[in-house]
Amino acid sequence: MSGVSIGLVRELITASLAAWHVASIVETNDRAVVIHGKQKIRIEPAPADSMFRWTITIDGRTRPAISLLAVLRQVRGALDPGYAASRVHIAVSPVVPSSWLQS
Amino acid sequence: MATELIPVSVLTGFLGSGKTTILSHLLRQPEFSRTAIVINEFGEVALDHELIETSEDSVIALTTGCLCCKVRTDLTETLHDLLRRRDQGACTQFNRIVIETSGLADPAPILHALMTDTALARRLVLGRVVTTVDAVAGEVTLEREAISRKQVAVADRIVLSKLDLTTGGEASLRSCLTALNPGAPTLCAVYGRIESDNLFGAASHDPKTRVFEVSSWLAATPEHTHSDHDTEIKSFTVVRAEPIQAVALTLFLEALAEHCGADLLRLKGIVNVAESPQRPAVIHGVQHVFHAPTWLSHWPSDDRTSRIVFIARSLSRQWVEVLLDAIAAEVADVSAGNR
Repeated sequence: MSGVSIGLVRELITASLAAWHVASIVETNDRAVVIHGKQKIRIEPAPADSMFRWTITIDGRTRPAISLLAVLRQVRGALDPGYAASRVHIAVSPVVPSSWLQS
Repeated sequence: MATELIPVSVLTGFLGSGKTTILSHLLRQPEFSRTAIVINEFGEVALDHELIETSEDSVIALTTGCLCCKVRTDLTETLHDLLRRRDQGACTQFNRIVIETSGLADPAPILHALMTDTALARRLVLGRVVTTVDAVAGEVTLEREAISRKQVAVADRIVLSKLDLTTGGEASLRSCLTALNPGAPTLCAVYGRIESDNLFGAASHDPKTRVFEVSSWLAATPEHTHSDHDTEIKSFTVVRAEPIQAVALTLFLEALAEHCGADLLRLKGIVNVAESPQRPAVIHGVQHVFHAPTWLSHWPSDDRTSRIVFIARSLSRQWVEVLLDAIAAEVADVSAGNR
């Protein structure tokens, strides 16, 4: 079971929804974070025997999430229809060649 | 044998802000004699290159159309062609490239092209972004033109031009510039003349002192907002006293790229990575494209805090703060064996 406090998860979800301009109400309910928005979403720690950390239930359908980032991805995908994730792209060149840093 | 990397810098700024005038002046200076210039003009007839006097050692290449829209083809092909001609001895052995964008160009895709072309990365290193701002009309332009605000927001150096035409009342403009990009030093050009020393060095790096220029952008004040517009550009610094685990840093950057995308105009930071307490990591990103962290040989000062500077559009500082806290907590939890 996750040792991350449910209060911190609620804070993260609340701040995320505000940042994404998604109108909803977030509350904590029995060790779960519940979002009342376009869809009802429940986020809670996964059972102890699960290989995942979180369980998300979106309109009655339950699915696992391996991390808080995966939780955010699922929540945003459900509530923000215009959302198109950008994938991080690592530049092929360093900011500065390492040889330049040697005095 | 290692090939010497050539810095490629970007000179941008809104229409009429003095880019060509400043470039023309710089190219007459002896220290700029071996410079290749890529000029992008947006219009049927290219004129800017006719207005630039250069020494015989300089090289000028032209692209037309909107550089930021066709950047992956036009610009990269132009740069490859320049390097090919240099290698074949068909032009001067330039030791610097400056790309002058059109006044309407978004600099971010240009930076992406420079950061992500594998073949170019073997020969070129990203230089500074220098943005010109008209001291007379600049404030009105910033108010009206979103692209001009973005050009300022991504700059490493801001050059105030046409100061010879003002009567010293540019304090309000300077305030706008500081709000958009508090970490970028503002330089002054009078009649197009500017101190050329180190204007187009490598990004975040001072070739004279051979140290990272962390001081200027870390000196950015806690939070600035340029909020008189629909597209609000903010700068703020996230500070953490506790070291950040490498995995948490990676996940944090991944989340920013995923959820902010084009709104994350620029991110720079020095990070105390838990696994490397003596050697801080310098991180640098433009929108969703990040350089791999550069590891400094030592801390530049006694301050061991992690400091990450954001310049972003419509980005909630509160969200960034809690995102980092939550990711760090989860990574710590996993590290402690809690699955």
